[in-house]
Amino acid sequence: MNRLPTLIAWFLGLFFVQAFVFDPVLLGIPYAPFVYVLLLVFLPNGWAPWIVLLTGFFIGLCVDFIFVSGGVHTAACLLISYARPLLIRAVFRDTITPNNLNIEHESFGSLIRYITIVIFAHHFIVFVAVVGNTARIGWLLNAWLSNSLLTLLATVIILTLTRSSKK
Amino acid sequence: MQKLLNSILRNGTLLLFILLFGLAIGFIAKSQSFQQSSLFAFNKGVSASFFEARHHFFSFLKRQSHNEQLVAENQFLLNQLITKNNQALLLDSIPYEVLPAQVIRNSINLNNNYLTLNLGEKSGIKKEMGVITAKGIVGVVNKTNAQTSSVISLLSKSLRVNAKLKKSNHFGSLYWDGYNPNSVILSDVPLAANVVLGDTIVTGGMSAIFPAEILIGVVSEATVPLNDNYYSLRVSLFEDMTNLNHVYVVNFPLADAIKNSINYKDNE
Repeated sequence: MNRLPTLIAWFLGLFFVQAFVFDPVLLGIPYAPFVYVLLLVFLPNGWAPWIVLLTGFFIGLCVDFIFVSGGVHTAACLLISYARPLLIRAVFRDTITPNNLNIEHESFGSLIRYITIVIFAHHFIVFVAVVGNTARIGWLLNAWLSNSLLTLLATVIILTLTRSSKK
Repeated sequence: MQKLLNSILRNGTLLLFILLFGLAIGFIAKSQSFQQSSLFAFNKGVSASFFEARHHFFSFLKRQSHNEQLVAENQFLLNQLITKNNQALLLDSIPYEVLPAQVIRNSINLNNNYLTLNLGEKSGIKKEMGVITAKGIVGVVNKTNAQTSSVISLLSKSLRVNAKLKKSNHFGSLYWDGYNPNSVILSDVPLAANVVLGDTIVTGGMSAIFPAEILIGVVSEATVPLNDNYYSLRVSLFEDMTNLNHVYVVNFPLADAIKNSINYKDNE
């Protein structure tokens, strides 16, 4: 739990950036990156599953609040939080005990691989929940891919800046 | 009992997930309903203050483009005014007034989108007032509190607006199909209207919400469904719904009298 202050700092920083910078309506562009997804990536592995679930739910609820988006981000964050052990195993296959894994200390390549999977899965759930039926599949695919790539680009920039500033 | 408790403890995470996911689905379902906009769509107190603070922050950053937009809108309105003044004898004098307001929240990606305005009941905003800009219609007020009001956006699949072709007065029903925030659909326009691409679409005025002849957009695509006698027109909006700042709430003092009159006739 000693990583809690760092996590709170990440939460406040990313929430501020999401609310005051990366808003599609305020920027006047169709899509903007959902950089808050990084919070789901950096949740400590040692946390009990129920704490991870509640934290994911809370993060999604905050984002739904700023985007006035019903519960689409809440649902997406919750599903990603629940599927987290599965996603970690899919990327860090050589890790025998995922609880001891500290994602921040993994190689940049592995980290990006993991983040890519989380982003694409999360955004797919978000846009499926937004559309809610099969009538707008073309829009869904376009929005999903465009927004996922934008988020990936923004998160890589954020990680590069924060990692290099640590050194 | 002991078995039940053990089972709950064993599957606690799954049960918690199901409970929280059910809540999230409930939020989504509620946000899809036009009649009961979700708890996220209309916020009071702290949340309204948050959106207002955020709006001020962005207004400060974008003040230059806001000023340019206002100058362009003023110029546009002035042109409209001059045109109307020259046709004054032909127009009915309907006592509409507009209340300027600012958009402090807007969404564009949902099936039903909402805006939040910085004016509420204290400023005279009431439910079912129309919201417009100099370039077109924006939506209809659906909830109010003392300081703010919630507007169901034109980009909502559940909102239908009476609209017509400016050149021929043929009416139709205007709605958003959920695809593109820059265009809407005008259906049920009779083939006799003889539509040409580029025709202007304006409000029909057959309600107490929007005055007649408020601009909406131009026809960008015209199709006739098989075995049908009506056009389905795609209308490119004049107003950029993704970048709204200053809007006007239309106050029509006779609206209540008209509604009462309609209800009275229906009851007869």
